[in-house]
Amino acid sequence: MDIGTGLLPAFARGCAVLGSGGGGPVAIARAAAMQALEDHGPVAVVRPGDLAPDTLVMPVGTAGSSAVMSERICGVNEPVHLRAKVEELFGAPVGAVMASEIGGANGCLAVAWAAVTGLPLVDADGMSRAFPGMDQTVMELHGVPPTPAVVCDERGRTLVIENVTGRWLERLVRASLEAFGGQVATSEYILRGGQVAACTAVGSVTRALRLGTSLPEPLITGKVAETSGTILIEGLGRDLGRLARIEAGSEFHAVIEDGAPLALVPDVIALLDTRTEEVLRVEQIRYGLRVSVVTVPCDPIWHTPAGLRLAGPAAFGLAGLTGEGRPS
Amino acid sequence: MSPGVERRQVGMVRAGVDVGPTNTDAALLDDAGRVLATVKVASVPDDPVACVRAALGALPPHESAQVAVGLRGAATAVTRRRGLRRVAVLRISGESGRAVRPLSGWPEDLRAAVSAGTATVAGGGGLDREDWTPLDRDAVARFAASAAGAAEAVAVTGLFSPLDGRQEREAAEIIRAEAGDLPISLSAELGSIGLLERENATVLDAALSGFAGAVAEGLAETLSGLCPGAAVFVTRGDGTLMSLEHLARHPGLSLGSGPASVLRGAGVLAGLHDAVVADVGAARVRVGVLAGGFPEEAVRGAGIGGVPVGLRIPGLIRVPRPIDPAELAEAVDRLQPGPARLPLVVVGGGAHAVPGGLHPAHGLCAGAIGAAVSPVGGQYERIVRLPSAAAREAVAEEARAAAVRAGADPRDVALVEVAETPLDYLPGSFVRLRARAAGRPSHL
Repeated sequence: MDIGTGLLPAFARGCAVLGSGGGGPVAIARAAAMQALEDHGPVAVVRPGDLAPDTLVMPVGTAGSSAVMSERICGVNEPVHLRAKVEELFGAPVGAVMASEIGGANGCLAVAWAAVTGLPLVDADGMSRAFPGMDQTVMELHGVPPTPAVVCDERGRTLVIENVTGRWLERLVRASLEAFGGQVATSEYILRGGQVAACTAVGSVTRALRLGTSLPEPLITGKVAETSGTILIEGLGRDLGRLARIEAGSEFHAVIEDGAPLALVPDVIALLDTRTEEVLRVEQIRYGLRVSVVTVPCDPIWHTPAGLRLAGPAAFGLAGLTGEGRPS
Repeated sequence: MSPGVERRQVGMVRAGVDVGPTNTDAALLDDAGRVLATVKVASVPDDPVACVRAALGALPPHESAQVAVGLRGAATAVTRRRGLRRVAVLRISGESGRAVRPLSGWPEDLRAAVSAGTATVAGGGGLDREDWTPLDRDAVARFAASAAGAAEAVAVTGLFSPLDGRQEREAAEIIRAEAGDLPISLSAELGSIGLLERENATVLDAALSGFAGAVAEGLAETLSGLCPGAAVFVTRGDGTLMSLEHLARHPGLSLGSGPASVLRGAGVLAGLHDAVVADVGAARVRVGVLAGGFPEEAVRGAGIGGVPVGLRIPGLIRVPRPIDPAELAEAVDRLQPGPARLPLVVVGGGAHAVPGGLHPAHGLCAGAIGAAVSPVGGQYERIVRLPSAAAREAVAEEARAAAVRAGADPRDVALVEVAETPLDYLPGSFVRLRARAAGRPSHL
């Protein structure tokens, strides 16, 4: 399967849904992917099982501020710099690109950067959604080492991070962000073709494409009735009389009705403007918006004890909530 | 009593004009903002100056100290792709802006009407002084040489220019030296952080320079005959006024000004600073919000003619006619800023079609009245680390200076707000400071 300019809008919409309200500005990343696909042609999407076992797979993404990305909209050579350094570190050619994070801007940038490098894109990603931490990955749960990791910017200024845990990788990259001017391109948890099927969220690219054209029935449709501190959704139409509370940080973390969660991190929660069908980010929620609230499951590994420790409700300050629908 | 004394008793009279596509409204207000007279005349198609002349001529004899004109022609020119200049587009960003080329995503017909070529050259900045790269002056000169002859105006957008606009000005000097006296629009004077939206606004600003120059000249000439001695202003999209010279330099700032002055006029007529306003026209209802006397801006970005622009223009929901009452009620509810509901003010030629809400007198001419009562405005924005009192004061001072440049009386300019927005995903220290200032029009 290929992703070209025709499929990109659906893919980008799916990435926005999987952003769960976070993951940065998809519109810019989508425009970057559109240009890359126009300039370099469509990107081949490969199934993890079709990769040769020793193929070097380069996860890619960016870290930084949405406001910075709205100005510093990225170059075209970030993946070229990343690739050169990864090949030097591993002494092998990179055979495929993978999205570190399918949700939000990074899902689209992976398409752009696969197009620029002429490499295939693996139908998988590191998160199955968007998470704020670089270490909140499926690879981390499977013990894939996060380093050596490469951090660079569009001008090729490059940092190699070695011998640290995922948590420390996050800490060092955050510390470098200010020096890099608020935005970096990164590759970490670099792995081999033979590991992809077992150690990543498989099927993320095709899943984003599907979600971009069809979404599950909403949990609730209504009006944003409160935004200070907590978000309240007052049901309208057939949901008239219902009231749901949404907990949010960088992403939407929980949808709660009558004290029990309807949806809960690590599962994906997306809010869509019912008038424009636009997928909304946390910072775009305003009083009066008409929204439908949708949930889609994350990769099942996030519901294991280790997965929940790394990116479950407690990791986002919601220790009292569990996915079974009862306060614990 | 001598006529002079009598005039002083009447006080300073202000006229406001709203040039619409079908009708042109004019209103005469006294010093206290009381409406003395309103008129409605048929618009002269594609001739805003003739519309203003006809509307002012239809008012009772007066000696206005100030005339403020609302022009919707800029937006119309963009949406109809008419009367636009061909623009050479320069982006100063080096590598940092190459992911998305200038004019990407523009509707094909608008791009064809406007573009005289684009170039991206090395230079531009970052959040940090140390992150700036020198401007590639030779590349700018080559761009200017190719623009000369092909383009009628130039748009220059530098990476992070809202933090520091010097490279844009340096590029403008090179272009002037190479290409002669082309109008040059600089992005730092128009928009805020958000490269693509600010660049789009700058290109449209440059494209509108022909329209704006002709209108500014025509208005100056007409009004010096009709209202000798009157200070002349035009409305802008943020609900303030600017001088004719400012319009000629920054035509893009007049985009969105029609709805902005309707919102302000509706508020004044209803005696409200905060209200939801429905402007009922022949084909549709435009619903917007007045907050603290100023039109509320589009929250998720504004668009003109199919292009996202980083301009301060009112956020509106349009409801088609015939009106579905449920649809209108939802639009009004969507725009409410919070659970404490604002009153609805209904104005415009079709106001009778909306039974609820406040229907103030003279609501038919809300746009003209809004123009007459608006202050002259200016704004400034920058990103700072750890905002100090000094940084806040510096941003406020730039906003005051911008208002004075737009034609405000420096003795009267006051700060409307300094808003602080922390930048997400960055370790705590960067904040976007944005100040707005406004004051009485200067009558010099």
